[in-house]
Amino acid sequence: MPGDSASGATLHTIVAVMSFLACLTLGAVLTLSRLAADWTEGLSGSVTVQLLPSPQISPEDQMKEALRLVQQWPGIFAAKPLGRAEAEKLLEPWLGEGNVIGDLPVPQLIEVTLTPGKPVELEGLGKALADGVPGAHLDDHKRWNEELASFAASSEAVGWAVLLLIGVATLAIVIYATQAGLQAHREIVEVVHMIGARDVFIASEFQRHFLWLGLRGGLIGLTLAIATLLGSSFFVDSREAPVGAQYMPQFVTAPQHYIWLFFVPVVIGLIAMYTARFTVLRVLGRMP
Amino acid sequence: MVRFENVGMRYGLGPEILRDVSFTLEPGSFHLLTGPSGAGKTSLLKLIYLAERPSRGAIWMFDREIATTPREELPALRRRIGVVFQDFRLLDHLTVFENVALPRRVMNELESSYRAEVEELLSWVGLGNRLNAKPATLSGGEKQRVAIARAVVAKPELLLADEPTGNVDPDIGGRIMRLFIELNKLGTSVLIATHDQRIMERVPAQRLFRLAEGRLTTANAADAVLAEAKRA
Repeated sequence: MPGDSASGATLHTIVAVMSFLACLTLGAVLTLSRLAADWTEGLSGSVTVQLLPSPQISPEDQMKEALRLVQQWPGIFAAKPLGRAEAEKLLEPWLGEGNVIGDLPVPQLIEVTLTPGKPVELEGLGKALADGVPGAHLDDHKRWNEELASFAASSEAVGWAVLLLIGVATLAIVIYATQAGLQAHREIVEVVHMIGARDVFIASEFQRHFLWLGLRGGLIGLTLAIATLLGSSFFVDSREAPVGAQYMPQFVTAPQHYIWLFFVPVVIGLIAMYTARFTVLRVLGRMP
Repeated sequence: MVRFENVGMRYGLGPEILRDVSFTLEPGSFHLLTGPSGAGKTSLLKLIYLAERPSRGAIWMFDREIATTPREELPALRRRIGVVFQDFRLLDHLTVFENVALPRRVMNELESSYRAEVEELLSWVGLGNRLNAKPATLSGGEKQRVAIARAVVAKPELLLADEPTGNVDPDIGGRIMRLFIELNKLGTSVLIATHDQRIMERVPAQRLFRLAEGRLTTANAADAVLAEAKRA
């Protein structure tokens, strides 16, 4: 195959843009997955007792009474009062790490772990708490869990759909580019074919060319995407960010998420390579 | 080595370019294919180097009937044929050396196994000092010699040349013909398509194939037809 031509440079740019979009979309999907996991992890298999300040009972007695009631209820595995630091940690998925305002009136909380596989009469427990402990309220997370699971699932589905569309678009571009490349180099293909080259030899020349093209374009897109993600994190952390931006979830915070992004150029390169091989073999198959 | 029996050929749904073509090329033979422009010389060569398929008739190449030969076995047959194209068909992005070495490379040979042979061959055609030149920088005669070197580098059993002296001056044309004769003496069968009168004068009449309006006659056959007509 001849070296890079003007059309090759255009193709590089297009592949880089597709890779950039794929990396950003994958980053968004991974972030959504992580958020959904964070949201639901602490909520399933457990309930929370909130103790709001009440004039009828002191906070210490309120906590003692509520703990006693919960611990003797059938099907309860453990009941653990949470300090303020732990209560703030529970708010992190919503408010971000270290962003809980100091004077926020955080209620006393008891984290109640349910015995796995054992039915618990939560409605009765809630009623017993409401009747027996002033200011006590049982939150079984059910409504939250359902809504969050539904939101996370639909968001993830949209993300995967966009990723799929980008994949299909990349495939179409590579097919078109390969066919255009074959047309531009038809003379070369014919000569090499006529001097006795086997189809797989010619196809391997094309597939190697398009593998490198896909990898190079993909790496350029990945680099731009990582720069964008790091840039957005830096912006959110910076003083110039608008008020409230700090409470937004950050894209791709875990190192393993960046590892997944590195698969994007590899996948694009492989798509380009196999598409080129398939297309070239199909075109050559029509020759004598 | 090559046998055509009542071969006809047309492009798509167009008229027949070749009609009832029958001939045989024996190993070590030397033939010229003549005829006016548009008579079908290039099409006939394309059939021999397996670039086209006949629309009817049968072709045997190296004792294989082409119509029944699996497609994946055709490259091996093509490697036994060297072709000098009328328009050279050198690959512009490759150097002179790489162009000539291409038939060896497609056989998956290592460069170390053919480098010396290619260099020697290029010296033989007077291009030993242009190994790294690109075709765009060569004259017509030099391109012709690169094309010839490429055609013979894999030691083909059959060499086909389409108007090999059409683009060069008489002196280089003479050198090219001497080269073909030398190769023929070494055992390579040669078929040259040409309408160069000077070449035809140097070759015995029985080695002449004449193509006109898609039909092929040998000089002997033409003489026989003429004699028959006279007797009648």
